[in-house]
Amino acid sequence: MKSSADVVVVGAGVIGAATGYYLAKNGLKVLVIERDFPCAGSTGRCIGGIRAQFSHDLTIRVMMESVRMFRGLSDELGEDVEWYSGGYLFLAFDEKRKQAFLDAIAIQKRYGLDVRFVSPDECEKIAPGLDPTGLIGGAHCPTDGQANPFKVTYGYLEGIKRLGGRLVVGCGVRHVNQLGDRVVSVTDAKGDEYACNMVLNAAGCWADEVGQMAGVKIPVTADRHESLVTEAVERVFDPMLVDYRSDGCYFVQHSGTGHFIGCYTPVPLVPGHNVDATDEFITEMPRRMVRLVPRLAGVKVLRQWAGSYEMSPDGNPICGGTPLRGFYVSGGMSGHGFMFGPALGKLMAEQMVDGRASIPLDEFYLSRSFGKAEAMK
Amino acid sequence: MVVCRCEEVSEAEVRRVIRMGYHSLEAVKRVLRTGMGHCQGRGCLRLIARLIQEETGIPASEQKLPRPRPPLKPLPLGLLRDYRDEE
Ligand SMILES: Cc1cc2nc3c(=O)[nH]c(=O)nc-3n(C[C@H](O)[C@H](O)[C@H](O)COP(=O)(O)OP(=O)(O)OC[C@H]3O[C@@H](n4cnc5c(N)ncnc54)[C@H](O)[C@@H]3O)c2cc1C
Ligand code: FES
Repeated sequence: MKSSADVVVVGAGVIGAATGYYLAKNGLKVLVIERDFPCAGSTGRCIGGIRAQFSHDLTIRVMMESVRMFRGLSDELGEDVEWYSGGYLFLAFDEKRKQAFLDAIAIQKRYGLDVRFVSPDECEKIAPGLDPTGLIGGAHCPTDGQANPFKVTYGYLEGIKRLGGRLVVGCGVRHVNQLGDRVVSVTDAKGDEYACNMVLNAAGCWADEVGQMAGVKIPVTADRHESLVTEAVERVFDPMLVDYRSDGCYFVQHSGTGHFIGCYTPVPLVPGHNVDATDEFITEMPRRMVRLVPRLAGVKVLRQWAGSYEMSPDGNPICGGTPLRGFYVSGGMSGHGFMFGPALGKLMAEQMVDGRASIPLDEFYLSRSFGKAEAMK
Repeated sequence: MVVCRCEEVSEAEVRRVIRMGYHSLEAVKRVLRTGMGHCQGRGCLRLIARLIQEETGIPASEQKLPRPRPPLKPLPLGLLRDYRDEE
């Protein structure tokens, strides 16, 4: 036996790092095991957007808590995580989309979110340079924002070390060992065994693979999302713009550096974990961005890349216990894992330590029936 | 000494991050943006590989270079869009 811990966290993306940190804060001895290096998975490919504008009650509540935590995160971690409250502006180009936004806003307002439906004129004021052709309005929440996924993740990992926990990189977990109906240890690819009472599966789009090691099926699949970043330019506007048309896109200007960074959801989806970048994206994404904001035509593209969204069947996270005692999962973030990081990290730590989170996570349990899909994916 | 000019990263910062446990060019790039600047790493990756070798003993020649991420030269959004329109 190499060593022991109260809990082994599998994966050092934002979810493993954040949950590990709050577990350590609850007094547990935490060991994070990462197959490659921190941020090697989706976290290092994400564009850093943070919002509470969703349609599902629990998602809205969890994200409002996450936004609150992001505001204080630099102080909490002693590392500037570049939180910036630039807002999110979702654009509606048809009545159906407008109605979907109005329906979501009605739910969001119940929880006190500062959000409203704004006219095309107001959209242009919020995002100067936006071409309003065809626009019938937008859903705007000024308290949404952005932060730096790398800094958040490293901040949490350094915090774990400060609290007496450990991070082992460069070798993945290969086996989850059980005695009777509970977890007793994990074994890594080198054959080293680590005893533990609990295991958290935070393996992102590999959650099912790690689940299988414990005999637990986790319905998470990967699909490819491509992204690009431009050179830094002077401040153009604050919010993340989201255009949900089938040939839409979403992008934001990084608050500190001035780079524009963005992606789109391909139609049809491209299933499977695949980080190849394509020629189609590097020409199509500029077309979509410049159509929305013509004055960006002269801004140069620096780099493109690709990563996986870890999709659950209904687009909501999968968090909580599993049929194997001591084996927990926090995954299936469906393209929103970065923004969920702080709140789900804290709530899952409560769940694992006390058996109940302060915002109950039942609707995210693995055992739920995967029904109605999130309307603001 | 500055090792990555594009992102203004000093040798001391790179060494600090390697000592934190980030032992590859990809891993250091994720922390410090070294290699993500205008030159896409042409100016700094070899230097950083040497620092990793000094700090960890992993020979520079055995270190994997980050995956090249096009375009290799920065191009304007408008130009890339026009390329699409002509297709
Ligand atoms: C292009 C793009 C843009 C995005 N934009 C946003 C955004 O604006 N806002 C937002 O909130 N989200 C965004 N996301 C989604 C977000 O990046 C993910 O939901 C989030 O990073 C998931 O974090 P994670 O920790 O669950 O997984 P990951 O970051 O993938 O971490 C999982 C880790 O587990 C490790 N691992 C796997 N198997 C093993 C094993 N057997 N043993 C040990 N370690 C293992 C992997 O190496 C990896 O490091 C975006 C994603 C992409 C691809
Ligand atoms: S010198 Fe490091 S990216 Fe250009």
